[in-house]
Amino acid sequence: MSDAWRMMNGERKMANEELRMTHDEASGAERLSSISNLPSLRYRITFATQRTLAYVSVLELGKIWERSLRRAGIPLKYGQGYNPRPKLHFAAPLPVGCGCEADLLDVWLESPLTPEALLTALTGATPPDLSVSDIRRVPEDEAALSERLSAAEYRVWLREVAPEEVSSAIADFLDSTSLSLPKRGHKYQGQTYDLRPLVEELHLENAPAPWSGLGMRLRARPGATGRPDEVLKALHLSDVPQRCTRTRLILDG
Amino acid sequence: MTSLQPIAWETIEALLHRVQKPGRYVGGEYNAVHKPWDATDTHICLAFPDIYDLGMSNFALAILYDRLNAQPTFLAERAYLPAPDMIAQMRRAGMPLYALESYRPVAAFDLLAISTAYEQLYTNILEFLDLAGLPLRAADRDATHPLIVGGGHGTFNPEPVAAFFDVFVIGEAEDVIVELVNTWRAVRQLPRERQLHALLNVPGLYIPRFYQPSYLPTGELSAVTPTDAAAPPHILKRLMPTLPPTPRRQLVPNVEVTHNRGVVEIQRGCTRGCRFCQAGMITRPVRERPAAEIVETVAAIVDATGYEEVALLSLSSADHSAIKPLLENILERFKGRHLSLSLPSLRLESFSVDLADMLSPGRRSGFTFAPESGSDALRRRINKDIATADLLAVAEEVFNRGWRTLKLYFMMGLPGETDDDIEAIIELVRRVQRLGLHIGGRKTEIHVSVSTFVPKPHTTFQWEPLADRATIERRQVLLREQLRGRGLRLAWNSYDATRVEALLARGDRRLNAVVETAWRNGARFDAWDEWRSLEAWERAFESSGVDVDNDLYRRRAEDEVLPWDHLHSGVEKRFLRYDYRRSQAGELLADCRDGCHACGILVNYPGLWTAEWKCPMHGE
Repeated sequence: MSDAWRMMNGERKMANEELRMTHDEASGAERLSSISNLPSLRYRITFATQRTLAYVSVLELGKIWERSLRRAGIPLKYGQGYNPRPKLHFAAPLPVGCGCEADLLDVWLESPLTPEALLTALTGATPPDLSVSDIRRVPEDEAALSERLSAAEYRVWLREVAPEEVSSAIADFLDSTSLSLPKRGHKYQGQTYDLRPLVEELHLENAPAPWSGLGMRLRARPGATGRPDEVLKALHLSDVPQRCTRTRLILDG
Repeated sequence: MTSLQPIAWETIEALLHRVQKPGRYVGGEYNAVHKPWDATDTHICLAFPDIYDLGMSNFALAILYDRLNAQPTFLAERAYLPAPDMIAQMRRAGMPLYALESYRPVAAFDLLAISTAYEQLYTNILEFLDLAGLPLRAADRDATHPLIVGGGHGTFNPEPVAAFFDVFVIGEAEDVIVELVNTWRAVRQLPRERQLHALLNVPGLYIPRFYQPSYLPTGELSAVTPTDAAAPPHILKRLMPTLPPTPRRQLVPNVEVTHNRGVVEIQRGCTRGCRFCQAGMITRPVRERPAAEIVETVAAIVDATGYEEVALLSLSSADHSAIKPLLENILERFKGRHLSLSLPSLRLESFSVDLADMLSPGRRSGFTFAPESGSDALRRRINKDIATADLLAVAEEVFNRGWRTLKLYFMMGLPGETDDDIEAIIELVRRVQRLGLHIGGRKTEIHVSVSTFVPKPHTTFQWEPLADRATIERRQVLLREQLRGRGLRLAWNSYDATRVEALLARGDRRLNAVVETAWRNGARFDAWDEWRSLEAWERAFESSGVDVDNDLYRRRAEDEVLPWDHLHSGVEKRFLRYDYRRSQAGELLADCRDGCHACGILVNYPGLWTAEWKCPMHGE
């Protein structure tokens, strides 16, 4: 085990080079598979947040996960430096005010556990509004979730607004070819961006009374990520009671 | 009458898109206790009357939450005062203040315990009661309303808010709160007046309606006398002979709060005897938690919370007699488990630098010290036993070990202070800065905070006047002119805010109306620069008929009746009086671990002494 562990860390590069020297003729795919015979210490957690946990920031959600995993006694891999943080990679930040049904988080451990053992350990260790639906091992060298992410789907329920109103706001939005909104954050003051091309899909959805529902699919690429609250702003529907849920993340490949 | 049923999640949710940091208003924390309402017979709401971020960081409330919920028949939940934006939304929606576990209105609880930790919370208490839909004054409430209990350091002079509370807990609440609740349970069917009468039997409770103040024709207080034969003329604070276990299943907030970490109280009380310090007097005697228990508690907290940081809390952490082996032990035990420890309140000495060095290998953020004043002479007067030369040696040590930011806390307006003492602060800061620049180079930062001294009840300086506005503002200008430039940061208090704090600290019941008027004028969040309204206070002063300037600037006579004389901290007034004279003579009083100065604790609590006490004269 400890050999494997060393391989996974500092010595992996060296191991790669050794492989290249001894199996010069081997194809790239064969080299990869010989590495992945080692147990991967990277795990992908599919999780949901609702109600109280829809109101946390992405930094706060990171801390909630770190503490949940620590309470569960799971041996997290930490980075280097004076103030090491555990290695936790989310696919995409959730906006404050938005819960999720199937978000993805990659975590790295110090020593291997079966996904089932991980799931068992996490039971009861998360806050009440955080639940885990799936844990699986993924190859160490798979691309980062954030790099593979292409789009995200959201469901927004609104109150105090009739479905017809939502419907006509959607129609106006879809008719436009560009929609300029101010960029968020102090350092972008005075700058604008075009929201329209980031909205891949926008439609009315059924919702239980007294809600009106809408669904949207927003692009999520580095430097080109649509936010559901910005879409509501463009629809002139941001100042109504609302419940937002990210229903799906769409990955490449 | 508002409904006493839980508020629906959808109703709360409907307000959240309009407020900053909505996570403050929803609960859902890990380790929050959710008990079934109907399966418990007594429902207690624990309140901190400021925002969630501060309330969640208040350790006293955490202790009581744990303690009350440990009783199977009690249910304890929490409520904090929402920030102004949420208050506005709730008022617009007609939503009453609710507890964070069950979302039940605060008014649905049997008892409401509100922290009266410090004076800047007083107007917030009224805002809290009003938002809960409760009448402000005890006289306007009856047994259909929660019994409203105050507790915390502020109750050592609760007179300025006496009219708004039914009961105050004087001293340490761990045992007495349970006695209070149980006594109340036995008489809950009775009218409020008779409930309160039954509570007179519980030692350590102050029930203001059974006391009557009287005044001299000149306006000074002449007595506070019981109006009922069962009411004790003096109420001696409650004291835990040994420190009760620190809660393990501590709440873990989902959103960022002021102190987002686990806490172990390693010591209660302080033996240093700083003459301005109220906490150091009212929390006597010093009790040390045994080191083995601390280590075991840290482990239990980390397991139960996942916290990556634990604070070892006390008024003077370096004074714990086993502090160094204790830290070594914890660090060894948690090696590789990514736990950091913090030690608030480090005394100015090189031993503290050693300790801090152990705790943050490599990481060097800021180091904080409180020299309090600039000159040796003034430090002797306030009983802060450190000479400037030693202080500079410690600063040098701090810079040598790699810290680049040094935070220095001073006070101004201390008894006997002159402008020369302010010049001494300036000179000291400059010397420290030169040391830093020499050792650490241009990254050196000195943060200087100079607050205005406020005389507090139950301290050696309780008879002192507040320094006048002209003096303080002149000295603030001196500091601002002299302490500027690269690598220097200076913070100070507004004098208007200090005036309010000082008035409330030593006021009597005549301030009840002033506090209420100030609140009606819009005063609240008095500790918050961005939210408070000092103008609302000034208007309340003008309309009140209270001679505010006389209350602030008059030196109290040594034999004068003080508004808190009927509340006893265990430290004798006689001891404070002697210490006051020593101060005027510039005499130090040594740390009482090394020799008892007969403050009164040992005689007032005969038979309570345990091995945790650091009073040296035990058994005599």
